[in-house]
Amino acid sequence: MRPARMALVLLLALGGCSLQQSEAFMRNINESGGLKQTVKDLREPTQAEEIEIGGGVTEILLGARPLFDDADLQRYVNAVGMWVAQQSERPDLPWHFGVNDSDHINAFAAPGGYIIVTKGMMKQLRNEAELAGVLGHEIAHVIQKHHLKALRKSAVMNLLSAGAAAATAESRYAELVQKLSGPTKELYARGLDKADEYEADRMGVVLATRAGYDPYGLPAVLTTLASADPKDNFLALLYKTHPLPQDRLDKLAPGLTTLDTIQGPQNLPRFQLYTKKLRVASQ
Amino acid sequence: MRCRAWLAVALILSIPLAYAAETGYTLRAAELKAKPFLDAETVTTLPEKSQVEILIRQGAWMQIKTKENRQGWVRMLSVRLGDPDQKTRGGNLLSAISSVRQRPVMTATVTTGVRGFSEEDLAKATPNPAEVAKMKGFTASPASARQLADKGKLKPRQIVYFDENGASLKEKK
Repeated sequence: MRPARMALVLLLALGGCSLQQSEAFMRNINESGGLKQTVKDLREPTQAEEIEIGGGVTEILLGARPLFDDADLQRYVNAVGMWVAQQSERPDLPWHFGVNDSDHINAFAAPGGYIIVTKGMMKQLRNEAELAGVLGHEIAHVIQKHHLKALRKSAVMNLLSAGAAAATAESRYAELVQKLSGPTKELYARGLDKADEYEADRMGVVLATRAGYDPYGLPAVLTTLASADPKDNFLALLYKTHPLPQDRLDKLAPGLTTLDTIQGPQNLPRFQLYTKKLRVASQ
Repeated sequence: MRCRAWLAVALILSIPLAYAAETGYTLRAAELKAKPFLDAETVTTLPEKSQVEILIRQGAWMQIKTKENRQGWVRMLSVRLGDPDQKTRGGNLLSAISSVRQRPVMTATVTTGVRGFSEEDLAKATPNPAEVAKMKGFTASPASARQLADKGKLKPRQIVYFDENGASLKEKK
């Protein structure tokens, strides 16, 4: 057996496939153009594919909880988010932002520029600079393709264990996403590596500052969260998927102090205007 | 006499919600500064777990007042909200009921009426393409984002990303 084949068979064995299954899989791979082709199908997604994947992920996220019914608020959050995103290395992505109708406190990014903030999170924010900080953090996840990379890892494993059906030259990533419904749900329930979260914090602070906001928007949100009861039901998923707010503040501190002399608006009046309805909305 | 009592109640209830004070405490020994600058005069050094009332938040700084009525500025990073002996955010009753931000008060046992986003909600979710289409309907163009920025006096700046040590990254990470 050639080394590459051997490695693959070993990998499959690790994944629980029997030798027979592994051999069958190798036959399938050969029929569909060989190992090189299979690996080629697992190349990095194009931007179009990334956006397709993100759309599929967002369909699931909004399937769990739909949008909050306030068109003006949705447009406002989109305008703030798009402004912060314009300061990033990927201003031309089709950035889409939404506030969902969840009382839990959280925010989500999906590949390709889809970002959702919960109503519960919006209620904890004190001004537009804090909103910009939260959105900056999520935008950073997209810039760095954190979720895309995590999902691709699952895709590789799925392909290897699922066999020939997925290993065609025409694999469309949208189809992969349908097969990835499970891994998608698992990823958003488990969260990313801590390092990715700390990186998103650092980049998020910079993005909001580039956009002209007070650099201490995101740190202010973390300060608020740091005082909340970690056992609070509304924070359960956030705490499960992110490092502790205090740890995040400690990690941010070295870089933050370099931005200390920078000031920026908080735009409190228009923030209060647009968030009025959700603060009044009963639980 | 009853009238005076009612007047007092009316007065308390009429205090604008936006001005309710937050309380907190120092996470470590912190310098109380006369002005919100690192090189401003140090008024005194507050010990760890000093209780403070937060009067103003300004960027990296908070203007606070101590129990001994000393006033000055401390760095936000040195302060945690709430009571040092409690896990949850405290403060006096007035600030608790008049806080602008609604603190989540429901415990894990109370679930009726809550619209959540838990692991279970995620596990049960079926894809909702119509809702994604609706979300896309609210997208802002870069031009309208720029308008929002101009109206909000937001001036874009060139800032470089930094690493975990605070050092500038020469190129995009």
